[in-house]
Amino acid sequence: MIQVKNLKKKYGDKQAVDGISFDVKKGEIFGILGPNGAGKTTTLEMMETLRSIDSGSVFIDGINVAENPDKIKYLIGVQPQTPAFQDKTRLTEVIEMFAAAYGERVDAMAFLRDVDLEDKAKSYVEELSGGQKQRLSITTALVHGPKVFFLDEPTTGLDPQARRNLWELIEKVRAKGISVIMTTHYMDEAEVLCDRIAVMDNGKIVALDTPKNLIKQLLKRGFHKDQHVEQANLEDVFIDLTGKGLRE
Amino acid sequence: MSLRKSLYTIVTLAKINTRRVFRDRVALFFTIGFPLIFLFVFGSLNSGSGNVSFNVAIINQSNTPFAKQFIKEADSSKILKVNKDVTTLSNAEDKMSRSELDATITLPSSFGEMQSGQTYPSGQATVVYTENNAQSAQALSSILDAQFKAINAKYVSNITPFTVASKQLNERSLSSFDYTFAGLLGFAIIGMGIFGPINVFPELKKMGILRRLSTTPLKVWQYFLATMLSQIVIGLISLTIMFIVARLVFHLDVVGNYFELALFIILGIISILGIGLALGGWAKNERQVAPLSNIIVFPMMFLSGTFFPRYLMPDWLQHISAFLPLTPVIDGVRLIATEGKNFTDILPQIGLIGAWIVVIYFIAFRVFRWE
Repeated sequence: MIQVKNLKKKYGDKQAVDGISFDVKKGEIFGILGPNGAGKTTTLEMMETLRSIDSGSVFIDGINVAENPDKIKYLIGVQPQTPAFQDKTRLTEVIEMFAAAYGERVDAMAFLRDVDLEDKAKSYVEELSGGQKQRLSITTALVHGPKVFFLDEPTTGLDPQARRNLWELIEKVRAKGISVIMTTHYMDEAEVLCDRIAVMDNGKIVALDTPKNLIKQLLKRGFHKDQHVEQANLEDVFIDLTGKGLRE
Repeated sequence: MSLRKSLYTIVTLAKINTRRVFRDRVALFFTIGFPLIFLFVFGSLNSGSGNVSFNVAIINQSNTPFAKQFIKEADSSKILKVNKDVTTLSNAEDKMSRSELDATITLPSSFGEMQSGQTYPSGQATVVYTENNAQSAQALSSILDAQFKAINAKYVSNITPFTVASKQLNERSLSSFDYTFAGLLGFAIIGMGIFGPINVFPELKKMGILRRLSTTPLKVWQYFLATMLSQIVIGLISLTIMFIVARLVFHLDVVGNYFELALFIILGIISILGIGLALGGWAKNERQVAPLSNIIVFPMMFLSGTFFPRYLMPDWLQHISAFLPLTPVIDGVRLIATEGKNFTDILPQIGLIGAWIVVIYFIAFRVFRWE
């Protein structure tokens, strides 16, 4: 579905993205990990047509991103880091507006139902909680039936319930055959969610494999950690005490 | 994207945007309430203008029936506004120095007395004034002089070989409110078309809303057209309310064709909105746009005759300000609404607006940034 070859981007003196290559398959959840400034967001932005590409290429569904940005926009859905909407807009109107941006007319309620927001259909966006805004943002990114879905740190700042709920949603998106590319700072999230992971540092990919294989390789290299086999962790305690139900 | 789909995109965005404005009390206040307040303030300042009147005090030291009659007539006169609180000359002088009074008429104690050996009363009224009121005092003196002449004629017959008669033409002349009103419409159009986008766009950029839109196939021209469409709807509603208030409260006489007026106002909104789209579309944040808008918008607002008519300016300034984008809008509104002109009569204004639209939108498209 996606082929990235030797992608490069320079900001002034800094080589933000330094010749990275990877492929993403149809219906795969692909994670890009790395410390701040590693070049994750820049990579995403080049794939999303938001930044010009210095050299190298990105093909999505066989179309060159640099040459056909207008065609690419119909193929991709983008979830920004902090979703924001204009005040005094009803949820149904947000959906209608984004669909209209693609020239499409859609059943707004169906898209709200997908993310459990049909009760809020007539509310204004400013009445939503952080998690609800994330869910609205996800469904607006899917109104035109994209083949690739980009998420930039989707769960930053959410409570554990909202985070788990978002994971389910991302799984549901993948179940439709959409390829998902996401960045995150949470290793547990990457481990649970991602089929494959690219770890970036200083604009380069330093490792690319499934989470399991990455861990195996580390152990093979002789890594050793004191073994504490615990049957639960603190998050399990938290979820046990407060339940899995979403809070708004 | 096909043309039909494109049109659907624009209309949907415009519809939702218009609804949003009507839900937002602050936005409503600035688009509709604010210009109305200005209309009331400037309308009240101008009402009754056209009739010259003088604020005067009368210091009367005479007890004669003639003096009493004089004061009574002065009170009922439309030309004189007599301030009855002022009874001493020093008090009057104080008020004149602050221009609260234009002049003071003093009647000496002998005013209206019969001089020995005469059959008619006589006396001399004095018009006292300060330097800053010289003009109105002179005008007042000649008015009083004329009135005394008429009185004199009753007592002493004399022959007047030459006289002046004035004749009023029935043609309608413009009151200064007509100018003020057209200017205030211009102010309302600036408020929506320029102050709207330069406040909203940097905010949308800061929140990443425009950036998110730029990942969709939405084109800048579609976004501009949608904004324009909703501005036209809101603008026509706001200006219609101003027209209704001006007619009912300030007796504005609209003689022009309403359809032409509406079309012309739409043209004006489009051209002025372009300035807002260029400034707001270019600015990355509020800090960038504030100084630029002050340099461009405020001089244009004053020089184009929003708050005071352009004919009060020196000639050289009038020649320059005639070419500002807002000037033909204000002039055209006045020419159609209060002078009953048609499109064919105001081709220079329409042509100038058209030329500005080309220039402004060329720049606006060039400098627009999604983030």
